[in-house]
Amino acid sequence: MTAEAGTPAVQELQSRIDELQTELTTTNHEILSLTLELDQRVEERTAQLQAAQDELQRTNSDLLQLTLELEDRVAERTDEVRMLNAELERRVEERTAELAEVNKELETFAYSVSHDLRAPLRGIDGWSLALLEDYGDALDDTGRGFIRTVRAETERMAQLIDALLQLSRVTRREMRREVVDLTGLAREVAEELRQADADRRAEIVIVPGIVAHGDRTLLRAVLQNLLGNAWKFTNKREHARIELGIVLGPGQRAYFVRDNGAGFNMAFSSKLFAPFQRLHNTGEFPGTGVGLATVQRIIGRHGGRVWAEGVPDEGATFYFTLGGDHGDQDDPAGRGQPE
Amino acid sequence: METRMILLVEDNPSDVDLARRALDKKGVLNELVVARDGQEALDFLFGTGPYAGRDTAVQPALVLLDLRLPKVDGLTVLGRVRADEGTRKIPVVILTTSDEDSDLDAAYSLGANSFIRKPIDFERFAEALSQIGMYWLVLNEPPPLNR
Repeated sequence: MTAEAGTPAVQELQSRIDELQTELTTTNHEILSLTLELDQRVEERTAQLQAAQDELQRTNSDLLQLTLELEDRVAERTDEVRMLNAELERRVEERTAELAEVNKELETFAYSVSHDLRAPLRGIDGWSLALLEDYGDALDDTGRGFIRTVRAETERMAQLIDALLQLSRVTRREMRREVVDLTGLAREVAEELRQADADRRAEIVIVPGIVAHGDRTLLRAVLQNLLGNAWKFTNKREHARIELGIVLGPGQRAYFVRDNGAGFNMAFSSKLFAPFQRLHNTGEFPGTGVGLATVQRIIGRHGGRVWAEGVPDEGATFYFTLGGDHGDQDDPAGRGQPE
Repeated sequence: METRMILLVEDNPSDVDLARRALDKKGVLNELVVARDGQEALDFLFGTGPYAGRDTAVQPALVLLDLRLPKVDGLTVLGRVRADEGTRKIPVVILTTSDEDSDLDAAYSLGANSFIRKPIDFERFAEALSQIGMYWLVLNEPPPLNR
């Protein structure tokens, strides 16, 4: 032992070293303990991860299984859909054939109406005239009047049958669209009206240069009916005025026939286009009530629309459009110029 | 010149009587032979059936033919008439209620000489018959007889 061994400084140092020693030992223990804990945790996590991975693999294989099943099902369903489609197409074909058959039956029916109803009507007319010619002397004026009424009614029925046939023909006729000079057609129709009724005076204003895209024969029937109506319903006007023109709307245009004739009450406008519906009695304005129904069918076949505006005792305007008619062949410069 | 007969092929007795009356009234004096269906018309023209033994060298100057007929229809009659050497030159006027385009087309394709739609008004019907008679029996030169 040195002289200084027992000094307080040394003792102090020794004591500090001991402390540090103890501390180190403790720390080492702690580190060891922590290391052990860490190892345990890593093992735990590894085990967990392994489990998770196993789980994932099982899920994946399940998923694969499901995917395969799903593909099978999709393939099955696709086959089913394909079969249903084929079935549907077959049915549509069947229905189309049935419809064609029904249409043919209707044609035959119209033909029968033409032949079978007209024949007895001719008999009624012929034999009532024979009665008048051969036995007229045996009857008084009232009796002879009755016979004339029978013949007038026969004539009216003949007109109805013809109108009905015209209506059915319009539906059955094959449609051929072409560029149609509507102004020219209207002038022809107007000339026919003037020739058939030479005593009438009416101003007919037809806008020049109107060109439409449609079936010429059917459009002619439209103009015959609309201009014919205007002609008929203005016959009590001192200054009858009939006008054919066009109004341009967004993307489409409407043709119109306007008159200042008897007009009609808008409350009844829904009845205008139904066959055999008339808004005026036959004595006042004769007709069969089939003309506007014919017009509607023709316009319908062209994919267009027809409508009317009217005021009683002031006049009527009939508008119509034609589907697929873009109005690019017009010469709008001449619009509004009277004939 | 002897007047030659008219063959009227018509199934409706009322129409037959009306036609007879109309022809009488208009002074068409030719004998009127009536066949009530297409088969009877063919029998008459070709001397078969009830007309077996008829002198088929004597043929009508004009056939007035309805289209819708019992047994054999008018278009078939027309086809047979046009297919036979002995009858092919006989003027055939279709006299019918139909104005179907298909009938018009078929009749002219088969060689009809004329197609008249019977008017319902008797006076117009009589007028039509008289004009047919006037044209085909008086104005028109008929084909020579096959004697």
